[in-house]
Amino acid sequence: MKRKIKALICALALILPVVSLTACKGASDNTLVLRVANCEEYIDLGDWDEDEVISLPDEEDIFGEDSMISDFEEWYEDTYGIKVKVEYSTYGTNEELYNQMSLGNTFDLVCPSEYMIMKLMEEGRLEPYSQDFFDESDENNYYIKGVSPYIRDVFDSLEEGGESVRDYAAGYMWGTMGIVYEPTELSEEDVSHWSILLDKDHARRITMKDAVRDSYFVGLSILRARQSATGSPASDVKSEKELSDLLNDTSQETVDQVEEILSDMRLNAYSLETDSGKADMVSGKVIANMQWSGDAVYTMDQADEDDVRLCYSVPEECSNLWFDGWSMLKKGLSEDSGKKHAAQAFVNFISRPDNVIRNMYYIGYTSAISGGDDQRIFKYLEDCYGAEDGDESAEYDLSYFFGGDDAAGEYVLDADPDQLTRQLYAAYPTREVLSRCSVMKPFDPDANRRISQMWINVRCVDIFTKH
Amino acid sequence: MKLERRYLAIPYVIFLVVFVVLPLIVVTYYAFTNGEGQPTISNFVTFFTNARTIGTFLYSLFVAVVTTLVCLLLAYPAAYILAKGYFAGKGGMLLLVVMPMWINFTLRLTALKELLDMIEGNLAMYPFLNTIIGQTYDFLPFMILPIYNSLTRMDHSLLEAAEDLGAGKASVLIKVMLPLSMPGIISGVTMVFLPSMTNYVVLDMLYNSTFIMGSLIGSYFSSYDWHNGSMVAATLLLLIVLITYIAEGGSSASGERRG
Repeated sequence: MKRKIKALICALALILPVVSLTACKGASDNTLVLRVANCEEYIDLGDWDEDEVISLPDEEDIFGEDSMISDFEEWYEDTYGIKVKVEYSTYGTNEELYNQMSLGNTFDLVCPSEYMIMKLMEEGRLEPYSQDFFDESDENNYYIKGVSPYIRDVFDSLEEGGESVRDYAAGYMWGTMGIVYEPTELSEEDVSHWSILLDKDHARRITMKDAVRDSYFVGLSILRARQSATGSPASDVKSEKELSDLLNDTSQETVDQVEEILSDMRLNAYSLETDSGKADMVSGKVIANMQWSGDAVYTMDQADEDDVRLCYSVPEECSNLWFDGWSMLKKGLSEDSGKKHAAQAFVNFISRPDNVIRNMYYIGYTSAISGGDDQRIFKYLEDCYGAEDGDESAEYDLSYFFGGDDAAGEYVLDADPDQLTRQLYAAYPTREVLSRCSVMKPFDPDANRRISQMWINVRCVDIFTKH
Repeated sequence: MKLERRYLAIPYVIFLVVFVVLPLIVVTYYAFTNGEGQPTISNFVTFFTNARTIGTFLYSLFVAVVTTLVCLLLAYPAAYILAKGYFAGKGGMLLLVVMPMWINFTLRLTALKELLDMIEGNLAMYPFLNTIIGQTYDFLPFMILPIYNSLTRMDHSLLEAAEDLGAGKASVLIKVMLPLSMPGIISGVTMVFLPSMTNYVVLDMLYNSTFIMGSLIGSYFSSYDWHNGSMVAATLLLLIVLITYIAEGGSSASGERRG
């Protein structure tokens, strides 16, 4: 018996190194390995049906045959003559990514949300983009040539510890937070206030998000609206900075007040959901659902297929401007300039207008890239949301996004009028909507503890006080 | 030969150590430390001084008690009928009881949700009722089987003797049959009571957003607060040990070992 065990151990000891050697073999010598971590279902994985080809006037067809990742590997080798292997992994939430990193997983390039980018910046974990990346004369620098002037301004103005976010993150997808609603049950006026979520007339027919940051933001927005003389905090303040301060308040007093609002909201809600809200909207179980703009587009698309018409609203008081961006991690790159080059090239590759369109089509979110001189992304919008020839149309001005402040009136879409409260409005909000939006910053550790406890209290059963 | 047989236990011992003992040690460690790794009991203090968490604890207890009672009331007659063999081919009846357990419970719940949705219109209107229905649906077989086992193993001559000595139907049931089937009841209760305090997946799947102890652990863990999550888990574990201990006592008192 003993001898057998010994033999087994010896055999294992012999096999293991061989297995690990063969595992490493694929990535030896001159092949560069780039470890990319992204949200689940957040990039085009190819394999489109034949009839899904996107044909734009005067442009080449766009089609996702292979995944964006293998297309990048091919492109990188063709362009720079270096073999690269992308090890692609996914995570569910920003917290999960952060936790994976704490547990020792190393990545070179990740795609967290704005607050997580700022948190990682503060912890000194991010590698800044190099000067070359911002050189607009390089034809392969699709990111800097194509990033929307609006998004560029947002990135320039956001700071963490005296450093600008633009140096540490490249925008990927962005949007607002709002309410998807059933227009035959609720009017536009009803859903123009966050307080619709507290409305007893619609008790148990509205869902809220099981996400602490987003719910806190909504609770705080309702609180600010109550405190405001005009009912609209965005119109009270004089500057964006003031609005940002108002919506990033995490003092104990504020947290306590938000707790009360959210407790009421939970009792009024159909459920706290993370994913089921989309299906429940389509099936008609709920008539309004707090939602991120990208998921809102997806929900409306799904509903359209079932001949249910849903709309999207960004409440008047204020909303959250969110974005996800690509950031490089110091620990992963470990000063390997080749890797850094590949990581930056990856960002550039997925920022190439045809790839942007592929990603937008595949995942339904709105890219931070407008395309610069390349008109394809705007044409894609016309293709998706433009009015049919001869039909009634409405002007929808997106110059702020595609051209910047100097380009007033240059990018006006002749949109299908129905789209002004629907997919187009969710995917590309108007400048006016964005003027009342604010970016939500990371909570400091104390605030985080306060707000986590607040969120647990909200969901716990309250049997001692009567509501 | 003896040595050989001991080796057979090795896989299970490994399983126990890796998936039961080690996690228990980790849970205990986290429950009594804070974020900086310092030993503390503040996790427990926070829990037991917060009206909301205590409220959830009491509510879960209540849910568990009601679920157990409902299961017991449904299971006992069912097990009795099965054991008595009132229906031709009791194997077939038993199959009907066991069959739901063959289907994955998330699938069953998805179906249950649609069913309740059809009957009630809006699920969110009856959170407590749905909680009890969902839990009962999930746990009922765990109550029926042990009771059925103890009833079939019961010596029927004792029941006949009681009748011969003049006991009415009710007294036979209360004074003879119930005490004799006690081990089955106790084992059923322990298998239903504790899981129904923490089985939050049922509630999540029925969308009623009711928070019970399991949800509390889940939400602490999903916000990466291992310490408070472990504290709640450890508290519940203590409760399990306590209840099992009491149940074992009751079980051996009635003269038979459980299982």
